[in-house]
Parts: sequence; C-alpha cells; structure tokens
Amino acid sequence: MKKEKLTRKDLWKIFRRQLFIRSCLNFERHQALGFTNAMSPVFDKYYEGQEKADAMERHMQLFLTQPMVSAIPIGVAAAMEENIALEGEVEPESVNAVKSALMGPLAAMGDSLINGTARPLLAGIAVGLALQGSILGPIMFLLGMTIITLGVRYYGVFRGYRHGVNLVGSLHKSGLMSRITELAGVAAFVIIGGFVPAVVSLNLNLYRVVDEYTTVSIQDALDGLMPGILPVAITMLMYFLLTKKKFNPILLMILLMVLGVAGVYAGVF
Amino acid sequence: MIQALLVGLWVTWAIIDEQTLQLQTTRPIITGTVVGLIMGDVTMGLMVGATVELMFLAVVFVGTAVPPDPTLSAAIATALAIATGSGIEVAIATAIPVALIGQAVTTLQFSVVNVFFLHRGDKAAAAGSSKGLMFYSVLPLAVNVLFYGVPAFLAVYYGPQFVLPLIEAIPEQVIRGLAVGGGMIGAVGFALLLKSIKATHLWPYFLVGMIAMVYLNLNLIGIGLVAVTAAALHMILSKGKSTKGSQQEEEAS
Repeated sequence: MKKEKLTRKDLWKIFRRQLFIRSCLNFERHQALGFTNAMSPVFDKYYEGQEKADAMERHMQLFLTQPMVSAIPIGVAAAMEENIALEGEVEPESVNAVKSALMGPLAAMGDSLINGTARPLLAGIAVGLALQGSILGPIMFLLGMTIITLGVRYYGVFRGYRHGVNLVGSLHKSGLMSRITELAGVAAFVIIGGFVPAVVSLNLNLYRVVDEYTTVSIQDALDGLMPGILPVAITMLMYFLLTKKKFNPILLMILLMVLGVAGVYAGVF
Repeated sequence: MIQALLVGLWVTWAIIDEQTLQLQTTRPIITGTVVGLIMGDVTMGLMVGATVELMFLAVVFVGTAVPPDPTLSAAIATALAIATGSGIEVAIATAIPVALIGQAVTTLQFSVVNVFFLHRGDKAAAAGSSKGLMFYSVLPLAVNVLFYGVPAFLAVYYGPQFVLPLIEAIPEQVIRGLAVGGGMIGAVGFALLLKSIKATHLWPYFLVGMIAMVYLNLNLIGIGLVAVTAAALHMILSKGKSTKGSQQEEEAS
C-alpha cells in the first residue's frame, strides 16, 4: 500500500516473473496466468485484500503473443496499473483493451523477426560449423539466442514501462483519456476478429456423395462460401452462451473437448 | 542406465527452458550435441543434431499450433545412433515418428493439463495471492518430467520398440479428438475476452478484422495497421458525439 511510483527493483521483479509467461500455456486462455503472474508485483505494491484480488482477476483474460515480446505489453500494462492505483486517470477496463490491441502485431513481429529470421539464421550458421565437426557452432547459437531472449525481455519490461508512462501522460494532456477505452476497444475488436479465424480451428471431415464419381467436401464448400466461418460461429455461440445464458466457462470447455472426441469417433471432424 | 537417466533429465530441462527462458536448448543442434556428449560421441551428436536441425530449421508455427516436437526426436535419434551404431540414416528415420509422439503429448498438455492449472490459477487470483500465481506457473513445469523426461529415459534404456507400443495403446481417435477440442476451446477464451471489453456496439469492428484475415489474407501486422486505422477513423468520425460508430468498416476493409 505504498504511494510511490514503480522502482527499478519492482521492474526487476516483473522481469523475473515475466520469464514464466508461457509456463502454463493452454488452449483456453493461452498466457492469461503468465500475464497476471508477471503483473502481480504491481498489485502487491499497491493493493491489499479484495482490491488486489479484483485487479488480478481482471487480468486473467485470454492473452497470446510471442513469449519474448510479451514483455512489452507487460511493461505498458504496469505503467497503466500504476496510474490506476496512484492517479486514477486510466479506466481499469482500458488495460485489457490495450493488451488485446498490442498482442496481434507483436505476435507477428516476434514470430517473423525472432522465430522466423534470427533463429534460423543463427541455427544455419551453427549447422554449417557442426557438420564440419566443430562444437563452436552450437555454442555460438546458444550464446546468440541467450542474448536475444533475455535482451528482448529486459528491453520490453523496462522500455515498455517508460513508454506506457509517457503514453498515459500524453493521453491525459490531450484529453483523450476518457476515449481510450473506446478507441483501444475498436483496435482490440479488429485484432480479435483477425485472431479468431487464425487461432481457433475446426474442420469438418464430411463429404457429400453426388454420384459414384463425384464427392464434394463440405469443408471446401464452406471455405468457398466464407473461410473461417466455423471458428467464428463457435466463438459467437460461446459469447452468446456466456453472456445471455450465463453458462459456466469451464462447463463450456469440457463440452467442447467431449464434442471433439465424440466428433472424431463419429467421423464428423 | 546413467546415460538414459541423463538424457531424460536433459530433455526435461530443455522443455522447461522452452516454456520459460527460451535459451533454445530445445533446438536439435543443442540437444543433439549434449546427448552426444552424454553418450560419449560428440561428433556423432553434432552430425545428428545438425541434420535434425535442418529438418526443423525454417518451420515457424504461428500462434499456438503444436509443431512436431524437435527435442524428443533429436535426443532419442542421437542416443540410438550412438548406442546401436546404426548411423545417421536410421537415426533420422526414428526422429520423424518420435517428433509426432512429442506433438501428441504437447497437445494433451496444452488442452487438458495446463487448462487444469489455469483454473487453479484463477482461484489464486480470486484470493489475491501472488505466491499462488507463481506456484501454479511453476507447477506445470513439473509435469514435463512425466511427459518428456520419462519417455526419453525409457526410449534410450529399452529402445524405441518398447516405447512405441505404449504410445500406440492410446487410441488415435482420442488424441485427435483432444486436438480438435483443443482447437475449439480457444473460442471460450476469446468470448470471455470480448465479454471483458464490455463494448457490444463495437461488434462491426470484429467483422473488419475477420474480413482482413479470411478474405484479404493480411498477416497480423497488416491487421494491426487496419486496427490503428479503424481506431483513428472512429475517433475522427465520432468527434463530439456519443460513440456508436459502424460506418468505418468499408474504409478499413
């Protein structure tokens, strides 16, 4: 319950917990636990009791990006939470919207720059050396990747926090603060709209026999109509069941897993 | 025996590394070399590691799609190549089915085991316990001993002909069904996220993102740019008004 800004020591605590961002990666909410865990030094500093629990539960929402660059939204969110606790200018709802808006572009950058460029490049050099029987190849690869993974995470937490503080300050000055929930919400809806067909998957294994020479794949027909229609339809259905019918999310997940196994046995998926 | 144990331990560590620090000790080039060291033939380890690395080199899996597992396959292929003296070709031939087994195990972990720990984590959050959050972030790592370490140990100790039937005893439909279910449960997560943003009048923007992905095939950076554009247009067009904007989707798409 201190009334001071986050110190470097606090940011180091966040950095250490950020290393566990994907230790509990799962298909339901991906890195939600990892994100909340990384943020918890902030909540430990500013809140107690029910207030702390509320802040933590607020963060237990789906989050998914490349693990190393996830340090950036963590730094930004830490700055926003600091403002919520000390100044109260940021609306608490806007934090999840900002997180969601950042995760898509960062996932693309992390995947293409680190997993798609830096790592194959270093590994390619290492393979070249290794095939000549030199152990230097693997050592260089390990060293290079260690610098990248720890460097990106350090930079993400510390610079992300700095940028977050500046962002909050300039939003406040320009009078945009009251709109940020709305605007980040717009960006978040666009990003989520793009993520759902890319991350959620369901393919039908059904065929319609036209005559003895022709069978039509129902999945191909659906893709011709509108690719990604099934993932979006399930997401809409889940949203409907959660908000209008007040279904328990755990029950919905168990139902979907059972449906998956049953569907494979029935030959539908 | 000790060698098999060490290989099991190394594989466990490499998977834990992949789930935390990501120093990339999972990569075949590293794992092959280390297993070569354990089995007493570094040069062979380097060769097998480098060859398996080439197989996985350019494979980048976006999002959470579960790739064939490079670590188990590199470790077991290297160990068998050295123990049986069968050479690189046989090692590579074993690497492929083992990679698929690793993929099935990872699917099980992400769709069932870690979902369980996630809900324990929910309880810790509801209690405001940062210790609890850390505990349930670390505990999933212990499962790797059972899921990766033990199979690697058994495969090296008894040979692959002992391990493969054990894995095949699990009906293929169950594994595939869990993968299908795992592909779907993300929908619950996204629905919960949309619910938490509490802005039902923004649904048209969901369509903007979806259209950009499925019809225009933009990558996520492109979708990020569309998102920024949509937010900017939303701000300009709704200046001074109470916000109920849906006219932007034509411009954005």
